[in-house]
Amino acid sequence: MASSSTSLKRREQPMSRDGDELIIMPLGAGNEVGRSCVYMSFRGKTVLFDCGIHPAYSGMAALPYFDEIDPSTIDVLLITHFHLDHAASLPYFLEKTTFKGRIFMTHATKAIYKLLLTDYVKVSKVSVEDMLFDEHDINKSMDKIEVIDFHQTVEVNGIKFWCYTAGHVLGAAMFMVDIAGVRILYTGDYSREEDRHLRAAELPQFSPDICIIESTYGVQLHQSRHIREKRFTDVIHSTVAQGGRVLIPAYALGRAQELLLILDEYWANHPDLHNIPIYYASPLAKKCMAVYQTYILSMNDRIRNQFANSNPFVFKHISSLNSIDDFKDIGPSVVMASPGGLQSGLSRQLFDIWCTEKKNACVIPGFMVEGTLAKTIINEPKEVTLMNGLTAPLNMQVHYISFSAHADYAQTSTFLKELMPPNIILVHGEANEMMRLKQKLFTEFPDGNTRIMTPKNCESVEMYFKSEKMAKTIGRLAEKTPDVGDTVSGILVKKGFTYQIMAPDDLHVFSQLSTATVTQRITIPFSGAFGVIKHRLEKIFESVEPSTDEESELPALKVHERVTVKQESEKHISLQWSSDPICDMVSDSIVALILNISREVPKIVVEEEDAVKSEEENEKKVEKVIYALLVSLFGDVKLGENGKLVIRVDGNVAQLDKESGDVESEHEGLKERVRIAYERIQSAVKPIPLTAS
Amino acid sequence: MGTSVQVTPLCGVYNENPLSYLVSIDGFNFLVDCGWNDLFDPSLLEPLSRVASTIDAVLLSHSDTLHLGALPYAMKQLGLSAPVYATEPVHKLGLLTMYDQFLSRKQVSDFDLFTLDDIDSAFQNVIRLTYSQNFHLSGKGEGIVIAPHAAGHMLGSSIWKITKDGEEVIYAVDYNHRKERHLNGTVLQSFVRPAVLITDAYHALYTNQTARQQRDQEFLDTISKHLEVGGNVLLPVDPAGRVLELLLILEQHWLQRAFSFPIYFLTYVSSSTIEYAKSFLEWMSDSVSKSFETSRDNAFLLRHVTLLINKTDLDNAPPGPKVVLASMASLEAGFARDIFVEWANDPRNLVLFTETGQFGTLARMLQSAPPPKFVKVTMSKRIPLAGEELIAYEEEQNRLRREEALRVSLVREEETRPDDNSSELMDIDTKTTNDVVSSLGPAYKDILIDGFVPPSSSLAPMFPFYDNTSEWDDFGEVINPEDYVIKDEDMDRGAMLTGGDVDGRLDEATASLMLDTKPSKVISNELIVTVSCSLVKMDYEGRSDGRSIKSMIAHVSPLKLVLVHAIAEATEHLKQHCLNNICPHVYSPQIEETVDVTSDLCAYKVQLSEKLMSNVIFKKLGDSEVAWVDSEVGKTESDARSLLPIPSAASPHKSVLVGDLKIADFKQFLSSKGVQVEFAGGGALRCGEYVTLRKVGPTGQKGGATGPQQILIEGPLCEDYYKIRDYLYSQFYLL
Repeated sequence: MASSSTSLKRREQPMSRDGDELIIMPLGAGNEVGRSCVYMSFRGKTVLFDCGIHPAYSGMAALPYFDEIDPSTIDVLLITHFHLDHAASLPYFLEKTTFKGRIFMTHATKAIYKLLLTDYVKVSKVSVEDMLFDEHDINKSMDKIEVIDFHQTVEVNGIKFWCYTAGHVLGAAMFMVDIAGVRILYTGDYSREEDRHLRAAELPQFSPDICIIESTYGVQLHQSRHIREKRFTDVIHSTVAQGGRVLIPAYALGRAQELLLILDEYWANHPDLHNIPIYYASPLAKKCMAVYQTYILSMNDRIRNQFANSNPFVFKHISSLNSIDDFKDIGPSVVMASPGGLQSGLSRQLFDIWCTEKKNACVIPGFMVEGTLAKTIINEPKEVTLMNGLTAPLNMQVHYISFSAHADYAQTSTFLKELMPPNIILVHGEANEMMRLKQKLFTEFPDGNTRIMTPKNCESVEMYFKSEKMAKTIGRLAEKTPDVGDTVSGILVKKGFTYQIMAPDDLHVFSQLSTATVTQRITIPFSGAFGVIKHRLEKIFESVEPSTDEESELPALKVHERVTVKQESEKHISLQWSSDPICDMVSDSIVALILNISREVPKIVVEEEDAVKSEEENEKKVEKVIYALLVSLFGDVKLGENGKLVIRVDGNVAQLDKESGDVESEHEGLKERVRIAYERIQSAVKPIPLTAS
Repeated sequence: MGTSVQVTPLCGVYNENPLSYLVSIDGFNFLVDCGWNDLFDPSLLEPLSRVASTIDAVLLSHSDTLHLGALPYAMKQLGLSAPVYATEPVHKLGLLTMYDQFLSRKQVSDFDLFTLDDIDSAFQNVIRLTYSQNFHLSGKGEGIVIAPHAAGHMLGSSIWKITKDGEEVIYAVDYNHRKERHLNGTVLQSFVRPAVLITDAYHALYTNQTARQQRDQEFLDTISKHLEVGGNVLLPVDPAGRVLELLLILEQHWLQRAFSFPIYFLTYVSSSTIEYAKSFLEWMSDSVSKSFETSRDNAFLLRHVTLLINKTDLDNAPPGPKVVLASMASLEAGFARDIFVEWANDPRNLVLFTETGQFGTLARMLQSAPPPKFVKVTMSKRIPLAGEELIAYEEEQNRLRREEALRVSLVREEETRPDDNSSELMDIDTKTTNDVVSSLGPAYKDILIDGFVPPSSSLAPMFPFYDNTSEWDDFGEVINPEDYVIKDEDMDRGAMLTGGDVDGRLDEATASLMLDTKPSKVISNELIVTVSCSLVKMDYEGRSDGRSIKSMIAHVSPLKLVLVHAIAEATEHLKQHCLNNICPHVYSPQIEETVDVTSDLCAYKVQLSEKLMSNVIFKKLGDSEVAWVDSEVGKTESDARSLLPIPSAASPHKSVLVGDLKIADFKQFLSSKGVQVEFAGGGALRCGEYVTLRKVGPTGQKGGATGPQQILIEGPLCEDYYKIRDYLYSQFYLL
């Protein structure tokens, strides 16, 4: 009984550590857009994807629900791209929590991340107590962030991961994580459509087991890019032709660059527009241009070809604007200003001035987060609240032409059909859109093999992956391929999630580990006759072989082929053995014995007849012991015919062969118990194997 | 049993010839590197030509001529048609290196081994990988994974890891473990115990590498010393490899010292080289990318270096002391050779070599000690034809053209001989056309053939006419919806307008040279150049030195080692060293000698059953975990081998002590426990008063292939003994 309870206990521990349960929990972006942050844990390895803030909230309220997890357990944090809703809580998470794992993002993301967050800190008008982090924290976080290139495989604590182009903004990546053979794809924001400067998202060559995918656009379909571009340029052209002003609120980085490329090209093709200025009011974007000019390897071939001749990011018709004070509002103009949500800043200032004029237009070029003014005016309300608290009529034209590089339904469904992941987890989408997408995807994957989940924030999804653990037996141990029933014994070496079994002698060959033998030599003062020791040892130990030392020709004894006892000199005895628990035990008892002799206290009662005790008598003694122990365990034990022991317990009968240990019984349970008991008794009777093999 | 691996050198063993090796893995032939040297001797490539058609994939490691120079020639002439794998910088900079080679050659000889088009087509289909990208081959190479890893020698240069069934073959030549200004050091030491390591012994005998700071100081002192006395400094460099490091050093130094001496970087491709370098920040050292991330300072935004692409610009530069970095490093061709000849006889000038010149080149000759007083140089120049030669050339061209026209018209007449039943109208047409043909003269063919093939039935050139009979159904004419879809054209128009030559980012001069069809010829004259300028050689090769090579190999400790690319003495030296200290299987094959480095490793795969694993308790040791297992072999449902727990109690096994004891660390540990420790003679450690502890047996490389460690602890029977033994045991795991 005791044995089973210990084994249960043993089992529990690895189960919790090594379980097959995979947990995914959105800490943000579950049934919402903003503060992307998804927690994942499998086999004791923990990965956090993204670390954003919610643009519609401020202070602590904008953070993902970090309280739900223990940041110190996270091994790796992967950031897909630089947008605030994916990266902006990183300085807080790194500097203000117990997180001590490693952080990875792409080169371009890291370069822009710093600029963007520094700007964010400056712009946000929150009181100092509410500040989540300051510039100092950002600079400190830069030292901790490591970079990863597209397709580069990195391994951290057995977690393998690499990234694919996501096409959303410069440097945007989709991460594929491989833990013990289970692959998880986290798309972040992605777009499968190539645009003016970015490549389309790649299709991973491996199908993941779980795909955590964005659902921003739900079941909506994008218009073709050319139609969108035409609508965009037409609206602007007609507005400025009528003497109106065009406001394009856009986030400083990402889509803005794409729109500027469109505008610059349109202006270049329409000389009649050359007298109408285009302003780009973002000093931040100006700073980021250097980044755009450098990481052309992350862009598409089109831009790289253009780059060969001239830098497409040096605009000919667009001038930059530092603040509203520098802006002379005379006559028609086109102004692109941040922030995109019209929460505050220059875009809001211009909006407040222009919103009452009918000739003016506001083009909203991308997805807007719920709760921002830009989202509100898409529905064209009669009145809007200005920054100073007054209300004003909304007369300006509002156009919503989406250029945001998120996948639409067509892209999402083809992407998923190509990958065919058995588990799909939707994140980063408004609850309603997400539900519609879920329903529609169900119709696309009707066979029922695909699970589609839409967890809310802090709602965890559990999945079970019974992954087979495969080990490679190598070296001497593998010289012969074993058949069923053979035993394999060796050292199991686990590195990451790969297992190898090898013979101890091969350990240093196939792993970085090495083995050692520790030889011990101890000298004991002893001035008696060597013969006395020999005599005493023979009484205690079964195997005492006399020999002589090769070098010094001194008499020596080998006890159980393990410990050599040697007479070093008149006054000293030396013991030499190579360490292992049994040898240490044997040597200790020899030491005790020798000490006892030198103390001249004959503690051991010498039975003369023992000296001539034959093998046979020895055997008999063993039998006696076995019998006695069995009786004490089972009670009714009798010597049956043909030398077998007959054991009766509760009417069940078992027969035990004393020599071989074979048990015969109708009752399986009893048979097993007798067998185990016999084995234990055997090892108790003969604790030290006769040979040291 | 294992994966079969064979290595056959095709070039570059027992000498400094270019590198090119054949590695076949289970019958899949990799050509690793495809080098040539600045002498472009086709006989070097003979071994390659014999196997070129059997090659399944080409892996390139560095972007210089020695590692990829023969690629265009092999693709064009030797029937090499396998896909090529390289990193993005190796691809781009390799392309530029080859352009520069070609253009330099073309200036001074009727170079016809390959053309710019051959270079373009050879590099067109290079599959570009990033560092540590595991690329899974398909088709014949199914199951093989290749991955480049940083080698640290040049921008993007790589060591290749080829993996099949867990068996790793690593090809690492010319790596540099030191971190430099623009490059991180190699990651070679992160690989441990690969099945095969193929490496070079090039620097095995080279040991006196000075510290970086001291070397930089000397380098800059030498240059400024010559500049200050009014001399010029020439650095013969490779067009797109190590030169980047030199440029950074000079740039940085000029910035610090505020020097006003101009620096010129003169190759046919200099501006492209720097443009590309600017966009390769991902591949550079941490410090370069960090400075960009934090302050957006692109290290290759060179403020003090003027990029030149032809010699005239240099001649027109204001006189006065200057530093010129020009290609080729071998002085066999290119601007550097011209400049050398001009500057050699002024003792104020300096020619500073930053790498050992290729064997048998002018640079090598000048690097010998003592340097020669005079060198005989054949100077060649391409000049436009003039006078009688031009007339003769034109006549020859005209004759050729006439012959061609005649041939064409003959062919045409045969083809277009009107049939008897052809209409009168056709006859008339034929006549008029013939008139046109005669009036257009020999150019006729060019006009018509290009992009327009007259229908074979027509007598004269005319556009074919197809009658579009439209189909009708119940709803009217059948339409093809695709005709009404807006095509992606208008966006791409921009790209078309701005020129679509992706890879052919050539400089103007280059382009003009390419398009220059002006008749010209090469004239040569031999001259004796008095070498009175200073000649200095400094090591900026960016390769690890002998000592580091040895410790790197020892760290990697491959099961089998193949040595290539070094002179015989160096190869022998390293071979002996490795045989004695690292591994018993060291091979140094001759050219075309195949060595079989298939590992004699036995291995089989088993499944670890859940039952077994639930009772295994791992002990953590470094980054791996170990445990002892006793198991019985069983079968899984899918008939694979599976390990099950043993039904009966396992027979006891000999216990194993796992761990790596370092005497010095143990000493620290003991003294932290309050035990008096000191080193006694012979590597023994005296612990306390009586107990001594020592390592016996061969004290080889750490952990290395020398076998288990033997530790001897001895002392008299006392309490200390048992205490120290306990401490010793605590350093190991007992299994």
